[in-house]
Order: sequence, then C-alpha cells, then structure tokens
Amino acid sequence: MDFSTAFFQEFSEAYSERDGYRLARTVTPDLPTDKLWKIWKSQNAHSIRSFLKRGLQGNVAFADHEELQGWVEVYAVYWNAVGEILVALVSSNDDKSKSSELVWTRAYQAWTELLNALLRGYQNSKFKNWTIICLYTVCKHLRIFAMKADDERNSNNFVDDSPAVNFQDDFDPETNKRQKLEDCVRQLFKAFNVCQQDRAALEESRKWGSYYIANLLLKSYFKLNSASLSKNILKSLHAGGKDMPDFSAFPKSQQVTFKYHEGVIAFLEENYAHAEACLTDAWNGCHKDAAKNKELILTYLIPCHLITSHTLPTEALMKQYPRLQKLFLPLCRCIKRGELHKFDLALQEGEDEFVRRRIYLTLERGRDIALRNLLRKVFTARGVEEAKEGEKPVRRTRVPVAEFAAAISLGSQEKIDIDEVECLLANMIYKGFMKGYISRQHGMVVLSKSGAFPGTGV
Amino acid sequence: MLPTWPAAPPSGAQSSTGYATSYSAPAYTAVQVRQSFGQSYSTPQPSYPLAHTYGPSHSPSPSAVDIARNVNLPPPAAASEPAKTKIDWPDSVRRYVQRAFIPANLDSSVTRAEMETKLKETITQANEKGVLNTLDWDMMPLPQHMIREERARALLTLQPKQPAQAQAPAHAPGTKKRKSWDLADGAAPTSSSATPYPWRNGPGRLEHRVSFSPDKRDEPLKQSSKFNRADKRLKRHEGEYTTQREETPPPLDGPVVGTCQNLEKRFLRLTAAPKPDQVRPPYILRQTLELLKKRWKKDQNYSYICDQFKSMRQDLTVQRVRDEFTVEVYEIHARIALEKGDLGEYNQCQTQLKALYKLGLKGKPNEFTAYRILYFIHTANRTELNNALADLTAAEKKDKAIKHALDVRSALALGNYHRFFQLYNDTPNMGAYLMDMFVGRERLAALCNICRAYKTDVPLRFVTEELYFESDLEAAQFILDHGGQELLQDRGGTVMFLTGKANNLFEGARAKAFSRVDIKGQI
Repeated sequence: MDFSTAFFQEFSEAYSERDGYRLARTVTPDLPTDKLWKIWKSQNAHSIRSFLKRGLQGNVAFADHEELQGWVEVYAVYWNAVGEILVALVSSNDDKSKSSELVWTRAYQAWTELLNALLRGYQNSKFKNWTIICLYTVCKHLRIFAMKADDERNSNNFVDDSPAVNFQDDFDPETNKRQKLEDCVRQLFKAFNVCQQDRAALEESRKWGSYYIANLLLKSYFKLNSASLSKNILKSLHAGGKDMPDFSAFPKSQQVTFKYHEGVIAFLEENYAHAEACLTDAWNGCHKDAAKNKELILTYLIPCHLITSHTLPTEALMKQYPRLQKLFLPLCRCIKRGELHKFDLALQEGEDEFVRRRIYLTLERGRDIALRNLLRKVFTARGVEEAKEGEKPVRRTRVPVAEFAAAISLGSQEKIDIDEVECLLANMIYKGFMKGYISRQHGMVVLSKSGAFPGTGV
Repeated sequence: MLPTWPAAPPSGAQSSTGYATSYSAPAYTAVQVRQSFGQSYSTPQPSYPLAHTYGPSHSPSPSAVDIARNVNLPPPAAASEPAKTKIDWPDSVRRYVQRAFIPANLDSSVTRAEMETKLKETITQANEKGVLNTLDWDMMPLPQHMIREERARALLTLQPKQPAQAQAPAHAPGTKKRKSWDLADGAAPTSSSATPYPWRNGPGRLEHRVSFSPDKRDEPLKQSSKFNRADKRLKRHEGEYTTQREETPPPLDGPVVGTCQNLEKRFLRLTAAPKPDQVRPPYILRQTLELLKKRWKKDQNYSYICDQFKSMRQDLTVQRVRDEFTVEVYEIHARIALEKGDLGEYNQCQTQLKALYKLGLKGKPNEFTAYRILYFIHTANRTELNNALADLTAAEKKDKAIKHALDVRSALALGNYHRFFQLYNDTPNMGAYLMDMFVGRERLAALCNICRAYKTDVPLRFVTEELYFESDLEAAQFILDHGGQELLQDRGGTVMFLTGKANNLFEGARAKAFSRVDIKGQI
C-alpha cells in the first residue's frame, strides 16, 4: 500500500482490531510491480520518516512513543527495500543487460535491514505479540531473496573475494555458493531467539512465533545440506519445553511441517523409531488435500516401516501416489516374493533416485527381509516329518546349508561360497529374522521347532 | 623390514609403481594391508633406499637465491633480485613499452613517473597471472590512456547520484586493478622502485632520473621511491581514494603476493592479514615440496612434515593459488596424514581436495573419493555418507577404488563380514590405512554374529580365516584380549572355539567399539 492517508487508515484499523494478518499485508513485497512502484514513488528518502511519524501519530493511539518510533523505522526501511526490489525486478526482466551488479544481493541486504528494524521493534519498542505475523512475512521473504541472490551470483560467476578468506589456512569455494542463504540462516536464528527467549506471560509472548521461524530454519538447513545443524533448533525448543505453549495449541500447518522435519532428521540419523513416531504425527495431521506433502511424508514413512515393523505398504495406498508407486513397488514385490537377485537389480535401478532422497541406505536393508522370505520358502518347501501317532505333524527343521546356498544363487545363477552363505545365515540368526543355529561340522542349520521365522507364521 | 610385516614387499619398490606417473618422488609409503591387528601406529616405518636418489640435492642449506636463480621463472615485481638476473621478456612486451614512449603517443597531462608506475603494474600483473605470453600486447591500451581513463572514472564517482546507484562504481572493473597496485606498493615500497627493470635500460632511463615532467603539479621527484607516493597523492587529490574508502573494505583485501624466499617456514595461525615478505610465492613452494618429499623419506618426522605442509597450505591459500600444484600439495599431505593415522589433518585435506577437484583441477579424485567413503564408514557418519553417495557419478561408481569402497560399505550395511574381510585383504591405494581403523570393531561384530549363530563350537582356524587374522595365534590373542579364556579348547591338536558358551561375551566390547568414533576436525 502506497504511503498516503489510505495507508494510515489501514494501519490504524488493523492495529485497533489487533489483526496481525491484515497488518502483515502492509509489509509484504509480494505485490504486483505497479503497486510496488506506487509505494516507491509515493515518498522520497528525505521526507519519508517525518511523513510516517506525522501520519501514524495522528491516526493511531500508541501507548508508547518508542513504539511509534519503531513502526516509523520499520516502514521507512520497508520503503527503501521496495526501491531495491524494484531495481532487481526491472533488471532481471531486462535480460540483455546482464548488469555487473548483483541486484538481488542488494535487495536481500535491504530486506535484512527490514528484519532488523522489526526485531528492534520487538526488543526495544514494545511491539505487541499479535503483530508477529509481520515477522513471519518478513522472514519468509528474506529466505526467498537470499536464494535469489545466491542463484544470481552463481549464474553470473562473480568472484567474491571477501577479505575474511585471507585469514583462513584453507579455502573452500563451496561456502560461497550458498553464502546469502547461510547469512539468512543467521538472521533467522536471531529472529528465532527473539521469539523463543521472550519471557513475557504466555498470552503476550512471542514464543508463539517460535515454530513458524523454526520451520523456516529447518527448511533452510535442509537446503544447505546441513540437516545436522537442525539439532540446535530442536534442542532449543526441547529445552524451553515447559515454558512453551502446548505444541498442540500451535496452528496445525506449523505442527505438521515441524513434525515432518523432525522425523526426517531422526530418519537420517537412523533413529527409526522416533522418525516413525514423528512422521506418523505429521501424516495424521496433514491436510487431506495436500497431496505433495503427504507424498513427502510417505517417502520416509514407508522405509521406516520396513525397518521397524518389516511391513510393506499396501498396493491400494501406493495407487494414490503414482510417483511413490514407481519408486517403491518393484522393491516391495521382490521383498514379498523373496527374489533376492531381482531385489538387487531393482535397488540398482532406482539407486539415483533413492540416493537423492536419502532413502537408499534404509531401503538396502530391505534385502534382509527379502532374504528372510527366501529362506522361509526353502524351509517350507522341505515339508513335514512323518507325523507320530496322535501328534500334529512337525516341519523338518534340519536344513543343509547347501540348500540355502542353492536358493540364494537361484536368481543370479552365480555360485556362492558356502562360507558366505553361512555368514548370511549367521546374520539372519543374529538379527532375529530366523531362530536356530548352524552346525558347522555337519553343514546343517537346525531351526527352531516353534517359530523358525518369527512373525511369519512358521 | 619389520618382522610383523612379513608379507609386505619392500615398500620402496612398491611405491615406485603406484603413483610414479604423477610425480617423480612419491612422498608416501604404499601400503599392503596390514595383517596384524592392534599394532600401534608409532611403530617405525620401513626405511627407504636413500643414497642414490637424494645424495647431492639434499645438502641441508640450499640457499633461497640459488634456487630462485635456477628457476626459469621471472621473479615477482617486489623481489629484490640482483640486476644481472636475466629475464626473458617477450618481444611483444618490449614493443608495447616502446610504443608507450613514442613521442607522438605521449600525453602532457601524464607524467613519466606515472606512466612508468602504470607500465610496471600492468606487466607485473600480467606476469603474475601467467598471461604474459598470451596477452595481445599490440592491442593493449597505453599506460597514459589507462591513467586518463582512471582519472575520468574517479571524477565520475564524485558526482552526486541516486542512492540506488551509489555503489555501482565499486563493481567497476578498474577498482580491482587498483587494489593490487596498492598492495604491491605497500608491500615493498623501497625495493620495488629500486629494482632496475629491463624497460628502464632503454633511452628513457636518463630522462626519468632527471624528471622533465611537463606537469609541475608535484614536488620535484628526486627519489624514485617517491614516485608511487606522489602518484597516490595525486589520485587522492582527485577524490578517488575518498570515494573508494567509503564503499569498499580496506584496500588490502586482494590476494597477497608473496616475496619470501625461504624454503621452510613454521606454521603459525594467522591473526591478521599476512605480510608479503612472510609468504612464499608458488615457485618457491614448488622447491619446498620437493624438499619436503625428500625430508619425509629420509627422516619420517611427522610433526615436522605436518607443520611444514600446513604452512605451505596457508601460503597457497592467502595467495589464492588454486591450481594443480595446490592439488598435489593437498594430496601428498593427505596421504602422509593417512599413513600416520592423523585423521584430523587428513580430513582437512580431504575437504579441500573435494573443493579443488570440483573446480576442475586435475589430480586423483577417484582415489580420494574412495578414501572419503571409507572415512565416513569409519566415522559412521550416515548423513555425510548419504551425501557422498549422492555426489557420485555413474563413471565414478565404476572406478576400481571407489567401487571397492562402495562394496565395503554395502558389505558392512548387510552384515556380510565374509565379504568385508575379503575386501579388506584387497584394498587399492592406501585405503587399508583407513580400514585398519575400523577392522577391529568389525571383527568384534562378526565374532558376536558367529557366537550367536554357530552352536557348540567351530575350529579356531575358521575364525582366523573368516576374520582374516594372520595366524591362529593372533585370532586366539584377539579372543583372549576380550575375555574369552574359557572359550578356547584344545581338542586333539585342533583348537576349538566354543561359540555355544560365549553368550553375550563380546556384545559389550562391540557396543563400545561402535559408540566411540570421535575424531577431531571431523566435518
């Protein structure tokens, strides 16, 4: 909204109604270009502050002079940032003049100023906590501008020779690539602390903003490929646990996003039980129409189930998500049928995609289940002993290692060393997929009479 | 040869086949898989044949100047070289200089001193960038023109501007040049102007001493050392410096150009911008590397070598030298660190190497990618391992060393210790040094498996073979070390391992071995 009397009216109404979302719309950069132009042209650098001060003073009854000053500053900086954004928009539309300037970097920097003005407002100028939506808007766009600035710099191949490089013993060109996003993470972390460490009573606290900012941070960490750094955020939120509002009191969207990220972090650390719990929460809370989000959750939840409970997704579930079906179905079929060699091939086939999604190492462990199913087939194929008088027939529990070896090399037609087969069998026994023992002297596996393959009914 | 390494061939012979293609004097020991577990890393390394290779060149005091003279590279501008040092300036450069001083081209507003400074700056820069021979000197703007342009630009910056454009000149192409000029000036103010350059030997030499500057704005230029200062003052006068100060960081932010001529230098962490006279330029560092390779072979003094390599890496970094030589330095340091089990230092090199290879520099990327994977297996860093896998291309996956590392990973992930120990016995390059670090814990894991799965007993020989112990004795020792006295039984000449009685004997040790992976400098 351009800075005229209408602006003061809007601000004053939003302020008296304590409508954070309405107020946040006055600090958004997400406007059509002509609207931005109107804002930019409505004032000039010389008079903007006095204009804002007069207008806000006349229209809004601030409890505090500090607060007035704070808002004047926020809007003055916002106005300036709009100017930079316009420069960036104009020159990025204008392809042929690959300007020597990093316009988005400047837009990012101007927007950082806005974040700082806003944070100062919360820390020094007694901004009310319901206005936290403004902080959401500013933070969200800060991240967008940071990514644009990084893309711009990388595509133009700017050599950034910042003096700090001189002081290091080694250099790392990689760090420059996502320089602005890294800076953005630092800025967001400041915002996170301003929210998280507010000690006001809960109803007036900025702690309500913690999860929104935390989610932005988590997203950024993932983008930076440093999901491990997210631990700090999780720890900080955990440590402040009892002073925080109840997690269920936060907006559902924030809960789901947070649980998803928490789940994926646990997943990457192979803490599958915790990952399963978080992802299940996210799954249950996810909006029914958010197909993309549900697909993301399932991408990790399905491998989780494979590990924790050795269960495969039903075909009905996968039908709803064609991409997941393509991703998982071949593997699932091989596991189910105990086709060891085909499993290897399917894993190889999808390797690139699995690795990209960071699920390869988890899915690879599905081989154990495929192997278990194969061995189980060998066991059942041997049939039962002659039943004794009046007793239930019992399965033949003594299986030569050579039979297992034959089964394992059936698919690939490659001969396998008996010692290696024993090693695989030992693993099955050790991991609890199979009950029994190997007798090396006799080249025999002696399986348990009751439940040789736990959980499979034999 | 050490008695504990009976199978290893003489390492001198081995090393010459490994990497002989990349450099003449390899500075690492090629390694056979170490058959003995639990041997400490401080055991003396196999000695090298010395005399024939390094006899003459290893005199302890090769003076820096001697070496500099032997090198066929021109010295940097600021270095105080004896006048007779012959520098072979290309003809095109000579023509360029001559062209600048043709009377028709002279500009009355540009003093001779300014021209000479500019010339020196232009040529030195071209030399440092290594484009001396490739630049089209005939098309190069003359120094007087450059100076005039600079002045015009400086004037421009003085004019009032819209805030949105105020910083634009900071990105102008001219500024960078100026920075390095400042640097060269600040680096060696006296020696630089005292150095006689070839182009001063021409007919212009006398004039410049007497200085018939048609423009008398400056004080009489009696000492050549004042030329630069005067020039600077002139620029300041025109407002160039004031505008620049406001917009860019201090002028010293370009890469340093080293002038230090010592081969050896102790490593010190920088706390301020490095001084050029304490930084060795690349052509000296090349000498240093050769020296260090020899030293390493001769003395095997790791703390000395590591320190020297660190200072070398630092010198390269501050000068922003990122070329194949840089790669070589990091590769060699990484191999030496690996050999000595200094994982912290190794890891730093590895991180750098990854970045350097990414720049497209040649080296042994596959060898080090393989190490990288093995390293992440050792540190059990799932996230990084995932990232490393994601970075691999199809061609890399087929590389022998990388494929080996991937197979190791897969074998361990599936608990296939049989396969793992086969791979351990057949490790390319120096990967065995890395595998040595986790083979102990994998033996424990395998032992746990065996104890759970095999009933009553197995021959000790089976354990020896499956877990690649060098002898039954060593296998027995391993079992005894973990409290398995009760589990070994001599049965008519065959030692049996009573797996049935082991229960969970090795579980504690196994859990402990897997929990303790803490390495300094880990990413």
